[in-house]
Amino acid sequence: MLRVDKASVFFAARDGRTVHALDRVSLEIPDRAFVVALGASGCGKSTLLNAMAGFLPLSSGSIALDGAEVTGPGADRGVVFQKDALLPWKTVVENVALGLKFAGVRRAERLARAQELLRLVGLQDFGAAAPYELSGGMRQRVGIARALATDPAILLMDEPFGALDSLTREQMQELLVDVWDRTGKQIFFITHSIEEALFLGTHLVVMSPRPGRIVARYDLDFVRAFAATGDARAVKNAPAFGALRDDIRALVHETQILRTAAQ
Amino acid sequence: MTSDVAATSAPAERAHESAPRLVKMRRFGAGEGSTLPISLASGAVILAAWWIVAELRIVPHLFLPTPAEVANAAVSIFQDGYANATLFEHVGASLLRIFAAAAIAIALGIPIGLLMGLNKWAKGVFDTPIEFYWPLPPLAYLPLMIIWLGIGETSKIVLLALAMFAPIVLSAQAGVRSVSQERVNAALSLGATRFQLMREIVLPSALPEILTGIRISLGVGWGTLVAAELIAATRGIGYLIMSASHFLATDVVFVGIGIIAACAFAFSFAMRLLEAWLVPWKGQN
Repeated sequence: MLRVDKASVFFAARDGRTVHALDRVSLEIPDRAFVVALGASGCGKSTLLNAMAGFLPLSSGSIALDGAEVTGPGADRGVVFQKDALLPWKTVVENVALGLKFAGVRRAERLARAQELLRLVGLQDFGAAAPYELSGGMRQRVGIARALATDPAILLMDEPFGALDSLTREQMQELLVDVWDRTGKQIFFITHSIEEALFLGTHLVVMSPRPGRIVARYDLDFVRAFAATGDARAVKNAPAFGALRDDIRALVHETQILRTAAQ
Repeated sequence: MTSDVAATSAPAERAHESAPRLVKMRRFGAGEGSTLPISLASGAVILAAWWIVAELRIVPHLFLPTPAEVANAAVSIFQDGYANATLFEHVGASLLRIFAAAAIAIALGIPIGLLMGLNKWAKGVFDTPIEFYWPLPPLAYLPLMIIWLGIGETSKIVLLALAMFAPIVLSAQAGVRSVSQERVNAALSLGATRFQLMREIVLPSALPEILTGIRISLGVGWGTLVAAELIAATRGIGYLIMSASHFLATDVVFVGIGIIAACAFAFSFAMRLLEAWLVPWKGQN
C-alpha cells in the first residue's frame, strides 16, 4: 500500500513567481490496485508521480510505501517513463537486467531472469537486439520489463503510451492489464486519455490544474471485466463505459473552463 | 491536333514504364550524398595548378618547387635521412611526443572534466585557470616553458599536453551535461548507487563527446608540434621543417608538411574507427 498524505509542492518559476503545483493531495493505492490519474497538462499528475518515485521532495505532507516514508528514489518503486530511458549501449536483455546488476546479481542469473520478463511482455526473441532497433511500442515493453526486474512493490507509469499510435496503444493497454493481472503489482498510471483511464483503472482520480488537486474519484470495474473475458471491444462498447466517459469529459471541460475564467 | 497530342504523349508513357523517375523530398543544405568525385577533382585541379605555376616559373623556383622535385626530395629523405637523422627517427620522435602528451592530457583531462560536469566546486575551481589559458596560442607561453622546464623533452611534451588538455576537459564536461535526467532517474529508481550511476550511465553517455574531444585535441597536438620542436630539438618533423627552412630547402619543407598532414589524417581516421567501435549507438536515439 502506497499512501500519499496531504502532499503539497511549490516550485519557484523562472520569473520568480511561486507555482503551486500540488495542493494537499491525499491518495491511497491499495495492494493489487490499478490507480489512474487523469487530467489536462499542468494539473500536477507528473509532479505527484515524481514525488512518489522520490525524484522530487515535497514542500509539505508525506508519502509512505508499506509504512516506510519515501525519501528518495529506490528499487522498491519501478518507474516507466513517457520517453523510454533505455541505454543504447546495452542490448535489450541487458537493459532489462540493469536493476539486477545494480543489486549485485550474478550475470548468468540476471540475464536468465531478464529473459523471463521479456517473455512476459512478448519480446523473448528480441533480447539480443539494440534498443534503437525496436519500434516505440516494443521499447515501452522493454521499459515495463526493466521496471519489473527488481520486483518492486509498485509500478509508477508516467504517460507511457502517450507517444504511441492508437493501434499500438490499444495493444499495449491490453498487454499491461495482462502483466498487472499476472504479477499482482500495484500500479499508478498517468494519462490524459479518458478512454485509457476508464479501461485500465480499478480506481480513477481526476485532477485539475492550478493548484493541482484531485477533484473527483471513481471506483471502476471495466478492467476486471476485461481481464476475465479478454474482450476489449465489448468492455468499451458497454453503455456504462460510454456514459461514464461522457460524464468525465464534461467534468474535465468544466474544470478547464473554471480555470480559464479564474485567469 | 488531337492525334498529335496522342503521338507525343505515347513515348513518354512508355519511358515511364521502363524506368520510373525516382523522386525525393527537396532538402536544404549540402545533404548527405558522397562528395568524393568532387573532392578528387578539386585535389587534381590544385595539383595541376601547382605544377603549371612551378613549371612555368610564374613564382621564383626558390619559393615553389615542382611536384616532381618534392617527390624526389621525399625519396631522398626516405633513403638517406635529413639533418643527421633518418626519416623514421624524425617521425618517431614526433610521434613519441604526441603520444606522451596525449596520454597526460587524457589521463588528467577526462577525470577533471567529468568532475567539473558533476560538481559545482570542481567547476568553480578549475574554470578560472582553464578559461584563462586555453584561448592563448601555445607559442605565447612557449618561452615560459623553456625558462621553467629547460630545453629538453619535458618542455616540449608539457607544451603539447597543455594545448591538448583543454579540448578534452571541455568535452568531458559537456558530455556529463548532455546526460539526460531521465536516464539518471531511471537508474536511480532501479537502485543504482552513486558509483554505479557514474560507471553505467554517466561515463558511457559522455563517451561520444569525450572521443570527439580527443579527436580535436590530436588535431591541436599536430598543430602545436612545430612550435614545440622549435625548442632546441635535434629530431622531429617540426625540426625537419624548421631546419630545411634555414637553408631555403623549400622542397624539404613541402615533404615535412606532407608527412604531418598524413600523420594527422591517419590519427583522425583511427579515431573515427575507434568511435565506430566504441559508440556504435552515436546518432541513434
